[in-house]
Amino acid sequence: MSFHYGQGYPGGGNVPRGAPYGGAGAPYGAPPSAPYGAPAGPAGGHYGGYGAPGQGGHYGHGPGGAPGGPYGGYGGQPHGGPGGYHAPAASIPPGVNPEAYQWFQSVDTDHSGFINLKELKQALVNSNWSAFNDETCLMMINMFDKTRSGRIDLFGFSALWDFMQRWRALFQQYDRDRSGTISGAELHQALAQMGYNLSPQFSETLVQRFSFRGGRPGIQLDRFIQVCTQLQSMTQVFRERDTNMSGNVRLSYEDFLAGAITRLM
Amino acid sequence: MAYHSPYRAPPHINAPPDQGFLWNIFQRVDKDRSGVISDSELQQALSNGTWTPFNPVTVRSIISMFDRENKGGVNFNEFAGVWKYITDWQNIFRTYDRDNSGFIDKNELKQALTGFGEQQSYRLSDQFYGTLIDKFDRQRKGQVAFDDFIQCCIVLQRLTDVFRRYDTDQDGWIQVSYEQYLSMVFNIV
Repeated sequence: MSFHYGQGYPGGGNVPRGAPYGGAGAPYGAPPSAPYGAPAGPAGGHYGGYGAPGQGGHYGHGPGGAPGGPYGGYGGQPHGGPGGYHAPAASIPPGVNPEAYQWFQSVDTDHSGFINLKELKQALVNSNWSAFNDETCLMMINMFDKTRSGRIDLFGFSALWDFMQRWRALFQQYDRDRSGTISGAELHQALAQMGYNLSPQFSETLVQRFSFRGGRPGIQLDRFIQVCTQLQSMTQVFRERDTNMSGNVRLSYEDFLAGAITRLM
Repeated sequence: MAYHSPYRAPPHINAPPDQGFLWNIFQRVDKDRSGVISDSELQQALSNGTWTPFNPVTVRSIISMFDRENKGGVNFNEFAGVWKYITDWQNIFRTYDRDNSGFIDKNELKQALTGFGEQQSYRLSDQFYGTLIDKFDRQRKGQVAFDDFIQCCIVLQRLTDVFRRYDTDQDGWIQVSYEQYLSMVFNIV
């Protein structure tokens, strides 16, 4: 039996229905411990590599890659690796990453205790120092804003911090020529390794569409995060409808609209 | 056969504003005098009638619709289109915002969206209008403000256009592959 997208579905354990960006149980959708973290080769089986990158725990540098490099990372981010901060431990609530805690204080410029779209946008930059685009910032706020207030608290921010670190590591890993952007070929390779079975043209189209204005073709970190996250979510929508795993679905107008509207983030 | 897309702002009754009037507005909105109105300049100039900043995603959607050279803003010629687009939507919004509250609720939204002459197979359920409110209501009031209303219509329009391309027999159903499906929905990302 062959499928049009990948060899089949993952066992089912790691991707719960109805959790478009999430792993089971963990708040804010911590990524499933998926096989595609390892850069050894294509992870078989998935047609939607749910996910968020698999390597937790590495901060700041991609697997196998040199730390630093041409990536701007986060403006206003306190530097110094793990262990390099000296914030009084007592003030950091349990479950909050200490680095994220420090960064939160500098990003929350109006000291409201929340990060809004404007503050987040000011805090995030791509490797060419361009600000993160509104769509990606908004998408991440929606993902980590549990109260749907349009802003994120410290706990949501800490989860966002982890999310960003993992995507940044993957970005660096897939930016093979260290150009600071992901080309069409690099995106295709990245998606294949995440388990997506999509044509090179698909990646090429995405890259052309999301390339930074005025620059050479290639997507920045913000677009990479946006594309991969939406791809993951919409793959899940498709999967839910493709109950016999044929690779094709029949959709009514309303179902098509509702799937896209509710699940695109 | 020409489709009439239900969610497109219909050509309106307003007489086109004269060039001098538009030029005055353009100059006031183009704060840095660059000759191009950027997202943030347009956002500052627009009001959704509720003292909250105009939805930046709506601003981006509108600008990208008229920005022909992908320069990240609109020049004076393109601005005429932007102006007309927004005032057309404003007229529609006002028609359905009967109590002038600055918001339209689920029933008003349904009336506004079905008022453009939809064909039978493209009818939507009441539940779906609830979904729309839930998604686009940024202010969490159970109703949508003007800026969110426009964004809702833009998204519906894009999705409907791409659906129609695949629904060649116009029966309201499509059959698509995984990659086709992704390409369709990425139209609105």
